[in-house]
Amino acid sequence: MPAAVSHEEPRADDDLLARIAAGSQGALSELIARHGRGLRVFAARYLGNASDAEDVVQEVFVTVWKQAARFDPARGRASTWLYRITANRCIDQRRRRALRSFIGLDDIRDEVASPEPDAEATTAARQELAIVRDGLARLPERQRMAVLLRAVGDLDIAAIAEVMGGSVGSAEQLLVRGRRTLRDHLAMAAADRERKSS
Amino acid sequence: MTRDEFERTRRRFGDTVETWPAPFRQQALALLANEAGPEDDPDAMLDRLVLEAALGDGDDEALARKVLARIDSGRNATRPSLLPRFLLAPAGLAACAAAALLAVTVAGYQVARLRDDLPDSELLALASGAQLSDVGAADMATDPTEEDSL
Repeated sequence: MPAAVSHEEPRADDDLLARIAAGSQGALSELIARHGRGLRVFAARYLGNASDAEDVVQEVFVTVWKQAARFDPARGRASTWLYRITANRCIDQRRRRALRSFIGLDDIRDEVASPEPDAEATTAARQELAIVRDGLARLPERQRMAVLLRAVGDLDIAAIAEVMGGSVGSAEQLLVRGRRTLRDHLAMAAADRERKSS
Repeated sequence: MTRDEFERTRRRFGDTVETWPAPFRQQALALLANEAGPEDDPDAMLDRLVLEAALGDGDDEALARKVLARIDSGRNATRPSLLPRFLLAPAGLAACAAAALLAVTVAGYQVARLRDDLPDSELLALASGAQLSDVGAADMATDPTEEDSL
């Protein structure tokens, strides 16, 4: 059973959003400095494409600039709101990609740096990270989203459910399955390495 | 996250690690947990591994510049048409397909009506006692008894 994260509510984000709603570009820059990296890492690993992720995150902050006044701190945390916007944009982007690929305008390629475990580095730790990246890329989309929201966004189950627009139970199931699949992937890779070395 | 990065991030976001934004918070907590000893919770261990694997290069300041440039260009530019974006959406495609189907159906009915119009008019003419001139009508009237009966 995944434990909910208990950390102090960052009131700073609420204040920043209030200032953004009042038209402060400085506050927007500060919000980007706080959450830009997390949103970009989440989008890049979910989409498997760093360029698309960069575009999505820019769109997210433009949306925040336009709609900051609609954020209600009483209804949830600012970070949950940001990840929700990002998740929706990522889903839209994925559909656009799939459509463009279907009609032959472009092809879907994994453009986030994900080198092969053996080629990436000689150390076991780096190989393990590469295997995790590979495992993440192979997860079903919704499981991957749940795992990334938890690990990158540090969201608890209720927030993950809110971002993904489902129930708490289904979000928990997605997270449990995603983690199990990743662990299986890691175990298989470790067994492969052992077999090769012996 | 190294100790140096931790100190830099502390100066940026303050002393209370718990209030730092993600993913800085988890990276700092992972560093502090490593210094304290090995992690017991397997889920927490996996989450840290996933975060470490997911992290990539990126320039936060460049991102802010690009967003602000986009906002400024949006202010200066005229509002673009929603049509292309609408057409790319699945709902837009479905609407276009439905409209095309409707147009083809209506066109089919129109063509069929044109074909049906000719015999109808001839039958009306026949009913009003006019002379039959074309081949189809002549065929209809080959039997003299039938012609009389009309």
